[in-house]
Amino acid sequence: MRRVSLAPRRDWQTQVERLGFAFHTLDGETYWDESVAYAFTLKEIERDIEAPTGEIEQLCFAFVERAIADEEILTRLAIPPLHWPLIRDSWQRGDRNLYGRLDLAYDGSGPAKLLEYNADTPTALFETSVVQWDWLEQAMARGALPPDSDQFNSLHERLIAAFAALREPSPYRLHLTCVQNSNEDKGTVDYLQDCAVQAGLDARFTFIEEIGLLPDGRFCDGANLPIETLFKLYPWEWLFRESYADALAGSRCQFIEPPWKALLSNKGLLACLWQMEPGHPNLLPAHFEGDPRCAELKPRYVRKPLYSREGANITLVERGTVLDSDDGPYGAEGFILQDAAPLASFAGYHAVLGSWLVASQPCGLCIREDVTPITKNTSRFVPHYIEP
Amino acid sequence: MKRSSQIGLAAVGVVLVAIAWPRSDDDAEDALVYNSLADCRAAGQMSGSQCEQRFNEASANHLRDAKKFTNASACEAEYGSGSCQSAVWNGAQVVVPALAGIMLARSFAQGGGAAQPLLPPTRQACPPGSLADECRQARSSSSSSGGGGTGGRSRAYSTTSGQALVARNVSSTGVASMPSAASRGGFGSTSRSYSSSSSS
Repeated sequence: MRRVSLAPRRDWQTQVERLGFAFHTLDGETYWDESVAYAFTLKEIERDIEAPTGEIEQLCFAFVERAIADEEILTRLAIPPLHWPLIRDSWQRGDRNLYGRLDLAYDGSGPAKLLEYNADTPTALFETSVVQWDWLEQAMARGALPPDSDQFNSLHERLIAAFAALREPSPYRLHLTCVQNSNEDKGTVDYLQDCAVQAGLDARFTFIEEIGLLPDGRFCDGANLPIETLFKLYPWEWLFRESYADALAGSRCQFIEPPWKALLSNKGLLACLWQMEPGHPNLLPAHFEGDPRCAELKPRYVRKPLYSREGANITLVERGTVLDSDDGPYGAEGFILQDAAPLASFAGYHAVLGSWLVASQPCGLCIREDVTPITKNTSRFVPHYIEP
Repeated sequence: MKRSSQIGLAAVGVVLVAIAWPRSDDDAEDALVYNSLADCRAAGQMSGSQCEQRFNEASANHLRDAKKFTNASACEAEYGSGSCQSAVWNGAQVVVPALAGIMLARSFAQGGGAAQPLLPPTRQACPPGSLADECRQARSSSSSSGGGGTGGRSRAYSTTSGQALVARNVSSTGVASMPSAASRGGFGSTSRSYSSSSSS
């Protein structure tokens, strides 16, 4: 694993915009940064990222199996008891999942360590799947990188295949939804809708605020068309607590991600996995705050709310001193403490690897870089390639 | 090879990202209804180009979503005489209920939320000879050329999912009530209380 400086394409904005990538610059700061790329060997990708990602997914399945039958775990994860049957049923019915992203600490030496699992509402999808793919094709075409370079990234093909297989019979009618005021979320959903259309589905968009409830208990879109299958870029822990929460169970709607993903997007997962498999080479020691075993953690640890996105409310502590933190609205449901993993550090930059799964198959990689050790929603996205 | 062999972006070759717009806290059940492009422009709630864009959207969805019949009499049996038009769908000759107008949720008028095509009322909602004001209005509009210029009246429509809808004050303010959803807006409140996006 190397950090390589490269000359950006002279017209890189135009090049990424032609793909429909509108948020390459956020609040005046570069988000898509192609002045840098990370180079991997095929062995690093397959042995250190792809294989452990698949293994962690299997561990997560074992955890879901255990959690749905264990009220103590469901309580520790702060899942409202009203929704335990919804989660249980979705797992036992075999509701399929679309995608997820493991965040890993890895610098080319030693095993990758799981920082967290964005199992429910992962983004940075389009830039991973399409923008960095196109960047590599162009870099090879103009001779900036060797012509037989590669990339760990078959997300686009896998998403189309996964949409076709999510529900029987297929093609089916799919609604996709997200909140009104986030360009980034809308961009992610637009891309997924494009994939769904290519999978032959009748795919329709509706804002989450537009969703209505029909007298027969089904949800409907803005035109009162019943929603049978819903991709929601909106976290389960919020759906569980809003005014339509009581209607979820009777809605006869198949959700993507399915309700059982609520168990995996929760940071409590990290403590539970460590308890199931203490010493696993790809896991970091982690415990729920207040657990006496927290005393076994290293002096440098991270405190994470059970529900948190994009680094919000995460605190890095060393011997009682806060080294870095990100403010945010999360934390009411509790925290976990996790050993701080040394992040890949090159030329003063910290990198976190995002290892993607589609339909539970590892199939892609993205890298976020920051000068601080907590990756936030403003951390820069940098492309990667596999050296020939 | 560890990467996709090709990437196609279906919709016109690009992925479009909508512009953010402020949320209106108006009654979420209110919708804007326009019978024609001219009505939309005259109402002045949106710019001319926005009106045009919305009508284009609704027209595109109309053929896809409207119920399709193999002949005109089957269509007219359901939607009333003079309410149907022929079209070509997937290479086949079909008959569909004509586009009678478009509807958009008021809070979504400026930015997003696709415009919904509206169809003539079904025969069930407006039986032949019905004296209900909204049915008479719908009948007279479908047999005449336009539909505008009759401010202050109610008019019946149906949606592509088969629900009845009555718009009040159609061409003056273009407000319709949508009675068929028991409620709306039960999701999204958590996100409004946070400033950042809901994804990770």
